[in-house]
Amino acid sequence: MSKVVVITSGKGGVGKTTTSANIATGIAQQGKKTVAIDFDVGLRNLDLVMGCERRVVYDFVNVIRNEAKLQQALIRDKRVENLYILPASQTRDKDALDPEGVGRVIEELKQMGFEYIICDSPAGIEKGAQMAMYFADEAIVVTNPEVSSVRDSDRVLGLLAAKTSRAELGGPAIRTHLLLTRYSPLMVKRGEMLSVGDVLELLGIPLLGVIPESKAVLQSSNKGAPAILDETTDVAQAYLDVVFRYLGQERQHRFIEEEKRSFLGRLFG
Amino acid sequence: MASLTVLRLRSTDLALIERQLRVKIAQLPHLFLDAPVLVDLGALGDGAAALVFGDLVRALRSCKLVPVAVANVPDGLRGAVTDAGLGVWQPPALGRTRGGGSPDAADAPAAETPAPEAQATETASADVALPTGPSAAVAPPRAPHAGPMVVSKPVRGGQIVYAQNNDLVVLAPVNSGAQVIADGHVHIYAPLRGRAVAGAQGLAGARIFCQKLEAELVAISGAYIMAEEIPAQFHGRAVQIFLEGGECRIAAL
Repeated sequence: MSKVVVITSGKGGVGKTTTSANIATGIAQQGKKTVAIDFDVGLRNLDLVMGCERRVVYDFVNVIRNEAKLQQALIRDKRVENLYILPASQTRDKDALDPEGVGRVIEELKQMGFEYIICDSPAGIEKGAQMAMYFADEAIVVTNPEVSSVRDSDRVLGLLAAKTSRAELGGPAIRTHLLLTRYSPLMVKRGEMLSVGDVLELLGIPLLGVIPESKAVLQSSNKGAPAILDETTDVAQAYLDVVFRYLGQERQHRFIEEEKRSFLGRLFG
Repeated sequence: MASLTVLRLRSTDLALIERQLRVKIAQLPHLFLDAPVLVDLGALGDGAAALVFGDLVRALRSCKLVPVAVANVPDGLRGAVTDAGLGVWQPPALGRTRGGGSPDAADAPAAETPAPEAQATETASADVALPTGPSAAVAPPRAPHAGPMVVSKPVRGGQIVYAQNNDLVVLAPVNSGAQVIADGHVHIYAPLRGRAVAGAQGLAGARIFCQKLEAELVAISGAYIMAEEIPAQFHGRAVQIFLEGGECRIAAL
């Protein structure tokens, strides 16, 4: 059984691509055949974050337009077995995406035995975002603990309930999960950021995990290696928790409370 | 049952009509967006001859209304109406009572400034004759008996739920940026963070009930209160909102 999962948010810069890269990597590490599709046609970021930008020959739009075969456009990850990337085109725009073409590619990926098809949505609620969510079975809504991000996520949750294949065909509702990223317990404590509780109350969907604000994210993006690969960082630990939780394991939520720093830590931190 | 918004003209001054319409529409923009409109000439009497229907259509279109037909068309104007692409709507009851002979209708075209309610809109069922008395302009919608509309999922930002000719019961949060509208009462058994409108077609007795008031706006029959005007003591409380002396009042539940 294949699962189509859209990583979406409405607002830009909240961590959709980072999350797509890390979750796809983490799931593949568990032995599941996984593909991450970059729906941000015209911008193309996922290949950079996953470190395969030099190996892009054909892209998603080429496949939709029958200019290349799916096998030609899929890039196999060099670090993690079972992980593939379908990059976006940089030379086209979102109009190149249409439901028939996208549906055909997703169907073909299912036929190829992909268990998880991760759709990295562009920001906004326009065509690119709608195409990314249209065929989804599940959605991970990435939100920052900040009012405008929460409001945009709420808007996207409304679209997920109305403008998807499942909604239009009257199927079961898309399962939605909340992923709170760039979370800083210290700022929450100071009242400068919404708390996990605040966001959950506003959005009313189950919490998949909390990713702490960390420099490791920026560093890993620049290196082209998803943070989850370096298990020593708190971000990697947080994403690993998310992956295990997503795959059905019970994991206690972490990174919600401010870390109690030891005396030495305070001296040298 | 089809329902039409009726625009009862009491003036032929298109600029004035358009101005008043825009004010009306601004109060409940979503309700009137692309709404089909029946133009009633009954109150104009002979003065209707001064109307240029092509211009009237353009004026209404510019307000994002879709004029579909004209009621109470004097015989001499049938051609002008149909030339403008409009239908002539003439159910038996309406055709007979509004021939232009009633005294108040004869006075109307002479007036330079129409009464403030000149362009009052109302809903009438298309298969029922329009009310005929002067008080008809504020006729309430007919009472529903289909049971209220019930929504059990959150109403998210950008979503609009409208219970036409009905009450609305919402069992989940109405989030900011969302709108819940009913021609009757609105009940929200959860936080109201968006907008709520009761009595959307003019039912003055309609009320809004909510468990936790954090609204951006509440409105009843065209009167409204913005978030900033909600007294602090009601914020986050269970309240009802109703019309009193033409203004919205809030009371704790």
